[in-house]
Amino acid sequence: MNIYIYTIRRLLYVIPVLLGVCFIIFFLFNVVSPDPARMMLDKHATVKQIAEMRHELGLDRPFFMQYLDVVKSAFTFNFGRSWSTRQEISEMIMDGAIPSLSLSFPAFFLATLISICISLFVSFFRGKVIDRLAVIFCVGMMSVSSLAYILFGQWFLAYHMGLFEISGYEFGFPFFIPYVILPIIIWIILSIGPDVRFYRTVILDEIYQDYVRTARAKGLSEIVILFKHVLKNAMIPIITYVVIRIPFLILGALLLESFFSIPGLGGITLDAVKSSDFPVLKAMTVLSSIAYITFSVITDVLYTVVDPRVRLK
Amino acid sequence: MESAQTADFSQNTSKTKVAKSKSLWQHAFSSLLKDKIAVIAFSFVLLYAVVALGAGLGIIASDWTKEIGPSYAAPTFKYILGTDIFGRSVALKAIKGTQVAMLVGLFTAMLSITIGVTLGAIAGYFGGRIDEFIVWFYTTFSSIPYIMLLMTFAFILGKGVTSVCLALGLSSWVSLCRLIRGEVIRHKDREYVHAAAAIGGGDFRKLFLHILPNVFHIVIINFSLTFQMAIKSEVILSYLGIGVQELPSWGRMIDEAKDELARGVWWQLAAAALAMFIIVLAFNLLGDALRDALDPKLKGK
Amino acid sequence: MGEKILEVTDLKVEFNTDQGRINAVKGVSFDVYKGKTLGIVGESGSGKSVSALSIMRLIPDPPGRIVGGKALFKGQDLLQIPMNKMRNIRGNKIAMIFQEPMTSLNPVFTCGSQIEEVLAIHQMQLTKQQRKNKAVELLDLVGIPAPEKRIKEYPHQLSGGMRQRVMIAMSLACEPDILIADEPTTALDVTIQAQILELMHSLQKELGMGLIMITHDLGVVAEVCDDVSVMYCGKIVEAADVRTLFTRPKHPYTKGLINSIPSYDATDEGEKERLQTIRGMVPSLFDLPTGCSFQDRCDFASDKCRGFDGNPILKKIADGHEVSCWHPLSN
Repeated sequence: MNIYIYTIRRLLYVIPVLLGVCFIIFFLFNVVSPDPARMMLDKHATVKQIAEMRHELGLDRPFFMQYLDVVKSAFTFNFGRSWSTRQEISEMIMDGAIPSLSLSFPAFFLATLISICISLFVSFFRGKVIDRLAVIFCVGMMSVSSLAYILFGQWFLAYHMGLFEISGYEFGFPFFIPYVILPIIIWIILSIGPDVRFYRTVILDEIYQDYVRTARAKGLSEIVILFKHVLKNAMIPIITYVVIRIPFLILGALLLESFFSIPGLGGITLDAVKSSDFPVLKAMTVLSSIAYITFSVITDVLYTVVDPRVRLK
Repeated sequence: MESAQTADFSQNTSKTKVAKSKSLWQHAFSSLLKDKIAVIAFSFVLLYAVVALGAGLGIIASDWTKEIGPSYAAPTFKYILGTDIFGRSVALKAIKGTQVAMLVGLFTAMLSITIGVTLGAIAGYFGGRIDEFIVWFYTTFSSIPYIMLLMTFAFILGKGVTSVCLALGLSSWVSLCRLIRGEVIRHKDREYVHAAAAIGGGDFRKLFLHILPNVFHIVIINFSLTFQMAIKSEVILSYLGIGVQELPSWGRMIDEAKDELARGVWWQLAAAALAMFIIVLAFNLLGDALRDALDPKLKGK
Repeated sequence: MGEKILEVTDLKVEFNTDQGRINAVKGVSFDVYKGKTLGIVGESGSGKSVSALSIMRLIPDPPGRIVGGKALFKGQDLLQIPMNKMRNIRGNKIAMIFQEPMTSLNPVFTCGSQIEEVLAIHQMQLTKQQRKNKAVELLDLVGIPAPEKRIKEYPHQLSGGMRQRVMIAMSLACEPDILIADEPTTALDVTIQAQILELMHSLQKELGMGLIMITHDLGVVAEVCDDVSVMYCGKIVEAADVRTLFTRPKHPYTKGLINSIPSYDATDEGEKERLQTIRGMVPSLFDLPTGCSFQDRCDFASDKCRGFDGNPILKKIADGHEVSCWHPLSN
C-alpha cells in the first residue's frame, strides 16, 4: 500500500470523528446547556417573549435539525452571526487570526527551538550535575501558575520597569512587534519546563539504545552521534509532539491575548465565554477540533515518511 | 479428587502471585522511602491535606471573613501576609484556599480515574465492537482542545466547586483511558491470565483480580499528575469567571491581584502563587518519584 | 606464535550501582596475536563483555569505570590515550560487533549509509562514489546477495542473520587489525550461527586480523578459536590453547563447562548419557564468598579455598597453559 492510499484512508477515518465532535458540541450547547433564550432576555420576560426568542434562535426546531446545523457549519465554515456583536463569525475569525498568529507562531517556533537545544545540551551531560539541575529547574518552572508568570511579567517588566508595552496591539508588519515581545517571552518561559522535560526523556530513551553503542564503536564523536543518529530517531516522537500542538496556535494563547489585549481568536473566545455567545463558542470549538484532526492526520503521514519502520497497514 | 487437586493448585498459584506482587510494591515502597525528595514531597502533600481537612471542618481559618485591619495593609508582623480590599487576612484566605484546591484536585483525579480506568479496561479487555466504539469516543473527545472542552463544560455546568470538579474530570480522562486500554491489551494475553482462565476465572474476576492490579501503578502515577493539573486549571477557570465562587480560592486571589498589582498590592498574588507552587511542585516531584519506583521500564535512567 | 598486537594486563573495571559498588573485572590479562583468534568464555556476569568493551573504552560511565590496568596496542595504552585518539582507533584499527543484530544498527539510516559513514570518518581520501562502491564490495564480501540493492535498504527490511552480516561488513570497512566480536551469534538461529561463524573465520584468515571472540558457548570456541581464556566472576580462571583446554582442563569450572556440552554418545544400553551440570549458581557480585569465587560450586574446595588469602592467582603450569586454582585437576 502506498502513502497516497494510506492518506486517503486516514482521511476517511476523520469523518466519524468529526461527526462525533459535532455531536458533543451539539449535545453540550443545544441539549444540556441552560436555555440561552432565558439568558439573553431579562428575568421578567414573558413566556411568549421567550418562545419568540427561541424561535428566532432556531432552538424550537427538532434536535436532529439542530445537530445537522452544527455538522453543516463544520463543512461550510458558515457559523452564522455572533449573538452579542451581530457580526458574521467567519469574518471575526479572519480578523482575529492575524494577531493570534503574529503572537503564537514566532513564540511557538522559538520555544520549540530553544527547548530542543537545551534538551540536547542537558542530555549530553546526562547523569551529571547540570542535567539534574536542569530537570529540577524544569519541574519548578512547571509548578508556577501560568497566571502568576503573566501577571508578574506584565506588572514588573512592562509596568514597573517600562521595558515593554503593557498591552494593546497595532496591525501591520513592523508595528505589531513591540506589542508581542513580552507575550512571546512569557510564552517561551511557560513552555520551556514541560518541553525540555519531554524532549530530554525522548532523547535519553534513544541515547541508551544499542545503535548508539555501535556508532561509538565506529569512532564517531559524541556530537555527531547526538545530532545525527540520536536526533533523527528522536525526531519521530518530537514531530508528533510539535505538530499536534500547531492547531492550538490558532487559538493563540488564550490567557496571554486576554491579558495583553491582543484582539486575536483567544480574546474572541474569552469574550464569548463572558457574554454567553453560543455561536462563537461553537464555532471556535468546531474550528479548533478540525484543526486538531487535520494536524493529527498530518502527523500520521509524516510518521511514515520519517520512520522507515512504520509499515502501512 | 480431581477437583480438590485443581482447587489446591489454584490456591498455590494465587498465593505465589500475591507474594510476588507484594514484593514488587514493597520494593517500590522501600525505594520511595530512600528517595529523600519523594519523602519531602509526600510530607508536603500530607501537610496540605491536613490543612485542607482542618479548614473544611472549620477548625482552622474559619474566621477568614473577619475584617482584621485596614484595606490593603502591607505585610507586617501584625498582618503576616497583608490584607485584601475588605481588610481580610490574606494568610487566612490562602489557607482556606487550600481546602478548595485539595478538594478540586482530589475529586477531579478520582472522577478522571474512574472514567478512564472503566472505559480503558472495558475497551482493552473486550475488544471488538466495544473497543472500536470506545476508541472512537475518546478520539472524538481528544479532538476538542483541552482548554475549549474545559471552558465549555465549566460554562455549561455553571459556577461552583462541584461543576469545576466535574468539568475538570470530564475533560481529563482520555490520556489515562488510552494508557489503560493499551496495558490491558498487553496483559490479557499473558500466560498468567490464561492460567487464571484455565482454573475457571470469569471475565470480571480476570479483569479485576488479575489484570487491573498489574496496571495499577499507572493509575497511581496518573493520580498525582491529574491532581496538580486540576489545581492549576482551577486557577484559570476562576480567572475566566467560571470557577469557584462561594469560597476563597487561589484562583480568585490571583484574579483579584490582576487589578491590585497596579496599586503595588502584590501580596495576594504572592501568597496564592506560593501556596500553589509548593503543592504543585510536591505533586510533580512525587509523580516523578512514583514513576521511577513503579515503572520498571524506566529504571536506571 | 605470530606477532602480538594487543596486550591487556591487569584490567580492572568497577560499576557503581544503587546497591553498592561491584568489581565487574578484577585484574584480567590476555594477549591477542595477528591472525589468531582468542576466545573469552564465561557465563553472563562473568565480566567477559565488560572486558571487551573496556578495550574500546565503551563502558558507560557512569555507572562503569576502568580503575586499573593497561591495554597496549601498537605501543600506546588504549586505556590512557585521549578520547579523540581513541575515536581514531575505533572502527578503524579495532572494530567491534555486538550480540543484538536487531537493535545494533540505526533503524532510520540505510545499511549502505551506515557502512559509508565508517569510511567517511576514517578514510577521508575516498570520494562519495568510492565509498559507495566500497560499501557494495563489503556487502558482497560478507555474502549478501544483490548488494547494490541492499545498500538502499533499511535494517528492518533484513533478517537477523543479514543484519549481522551488515554489522560485520561495517566492522571490516577499514580493515582493522583487531575485531572484537561480542557474542555475535547468540541471537541467531542455529543454522545462521554456523554460517556467520564460518564467514568470520574465513574473513579472518583472508584479512589476517586478530579476533577476540566473546561467547558463552564452548561449541563456538571449539569451532573458531586458537586460544581460550575462561572467565568466572570477573577473573580469568584458566587460559590455554584450544586443544589443551578441551583435552586437559585444569580448573574444575572449565571441566564442568566442558562436561555440560550435550553430546550424542548413546551408551550400550541405548540410553542417552545424563547431561552433567555445574551445581549451584553464579554467586552475586554483591556478595562474593571470601577466597575463591568458585568454592561453593566446586567438588574439590578445601579450607584453603575458603580462607582469607584463599583467592587463587593465575599461575603458569605448562607452556601456554595458565590456571588459577589451588587444586588443579590432574589429567
